[in-house]
Amino acid sequence: MSVQWVGAFGILGLFALLFFRIPVWAALVIAGLVGNTVINGWPAAFATLGTTPFDVANSYPLSVIPLFILMGDVASSTRLSADLFNAARVLLSGVRGGLAVAAIGASACFGAVCGSSIATAATMSRIALPEMRKASYDDGLAAGAIAAGGSIGILVPPSIILVIYGAIAEQSVPKLFAAALLPALILTAAYVFLALLTAHLNPKLAPIGEATTWRDRIAALRQPWQFVLLFTMTIGGIYGGIFSPTEAAALGAFGAIVLGVIGRRLAMAQLLQAVEGAVVTAALLFAIIIGATYFANFVVQTQLPQLLAGAAKSLHLPGLAVMMIIIVAYVAIGCFLEGIGMVLITVPVFLPLVVQYGYDPVWFSIIVVIVVELGLIHPPVGMNLFVIQAQVPDIRLGAIYRGILPFLIAPFVLLALLLLFPQLALWLPKVLYG
Amino acid sequence: MAASVDTFSSRLKDAQVKLAMIALVLMMCSTCVDVALRFLFNKPIHGAYDIVEACLVVFVFHGMSASFFARKNIVIDVIDSIVAPHVERVLVRLSDVVSIGLLVLITVAMITPASQAYDYGDRKLELGLQIWVLWVFAIVGMIGTLLCALGPLARRVPPPRPALHGDEEGRA
Repeated sequence: MSVQWVGAFGILGLFALLFFRIPVWAALVIAGLVGNTVINGWPAAFATLGTTPFDVANSYPLSVIPLFILMGDVASSTRLSADLFNAARVLLSGVRGGLAVAAIGASACFGAVCGSSIATAATMSRIALPEMRKASYDDGLAAGAIAAGGSIGILVPPSIILVIYGAIAEQSVPKLFAAALLPALILTAAYVFLALLTAHLNPKLAPIGEATTWRDRIAALRQPWQFVLLFTMTIGGIYGGIFSPTEAAALGAFGAIVLGVIGRRLAMAQLLQAVEGAVVTAALLFAIIIGATYFANFVVQTQLPQLLAGAAKSLHLPGLAVMMIIIVAYVAIGCFLEGIGMVLITVPVFLPLVVQYGYDPVWFSIIVVIVVELGLIHPPVGMNLFVIQAQVPDIRLGAIYRGILPFLIAPFVLLALLLLFPQLALWLPKVLYG
Repeated sequence: MAASVDTFSSRLKDAQVKLAMIALVLMMCSTCVDVALRFLFNKPIHGAYDIVEACLVVFVFHGMSASFFARKNIVIDVIDSIVAPHVERVLVRLSDVVSIGLLVLITVAMITPASQAYDYGDRKLELGLQIWVLWVFAIVGMIGTLLCALGPLARRVPPPRPALHGDEEGRA
């Protein structure tokens, strides 16, 4: 049997294991172990199995993951999201759909310090949804705006998925963060536009609230100063080349703790809970990264990406068609695989193919994150939708599905823009890092 | 017997998570102090990278125990809506057993490279720390995680939940 066939069976076997509820990390290790054994023999496969976990855990660049998660968990405990939403709510008072826009804007900003879409959606649904319901907003529009806004969290830097992509694709994390900024802004603007358009087309969905004075609006701008400080220190520090991602993450986590303590919003019990939460979440991700690294070691040897590239070229498929196929595959896989697992399993297979077609790996990272993001909000399986329903159980899932539909246009438009104008992702990294 | 296994696993998990929490805080503090000293006095901490890497080893291998103890590892649960609850319970048990089997295998596989690190006297570049010391932390952490993974085996499989996919902790 050729190594390519071993690779194909390995991937099929992986999906079969995942389907039968084997944990993602274990499925990756089993597929990698069997595949490596068939190709290299048991002694070599066993030896690699022994060294891979230590190599992953002994990697300085990956230390950014627990530190950014800690920053996000601490920020979640300190009502930072409430400050952001209140400021946006006051600023946009008197605008039809203003609360929906405030929820989207606050989610995008909170995602910048939290790094997690689902945590952002969960937090904002506790803060923004009651306000929107009080203002007689339609449940579907309210939930849709929060789900969409929450999904920006994994694109806007610091994104944990981008850090993981950087580790497996051997790309500079600061470059990836720089590449994500403009698409994240475009996506936020598109969601805002769609919220305003939905409210404009059907005014009953979003009644206009009472407008506040300009003095109040200017005063509201001061509220989220902690967010501005954290964002400037972490992402500004990375973009400015002042800090490495790990340093920025450590300073961000420390800064979030200091701000929480000074503002008397973070008790010791909450701090300990946040640190423990960060340990559990990050260690869980590391188990998957260890499995994925071992699996990737097998995939590389199968030359499967080269086979795929050869097949695509023999069919005379242009690069754009290949990218469209990859995006459709990602959307399909996103129906049953969670984001980080999807990135870890698919990137070793798809990235060499994409690179062979002359696309930039940094640009591809943004495409991958957007399709993962899409997987978080598209019915019937988008995780953000379930999270919102779990937070506010009296909203029907059907209403949430209906509410998210208009917002689904935005990621597809952004994907099209990125395919047509790759510079949207590549311009800022080039300006900052050459 | 099952209750005592669960209690032992729970205590071990608590101890390992505390160790991982200390490692995480140490990682954060050493990096912050390093940055501060570098900017203020142009004198960074000697071996700051090595400290972070060493802490990360402790963090990963001891922190994992919590997700294994609480059965929180990410699974794709689309099959839950297809099969009967008793089949789902069998699959959950199967994944517990598979996880334990793999943890045993990985732990055994780690012994040879650990002993090689000891034989060759590999050291961290800046701190000069013997790398086999980190291997010991890693192997002890793996054994602890393995024992914590026995906890779920001693417990009843919880009743089926509404099917969601993804990470319960909300990390995506």
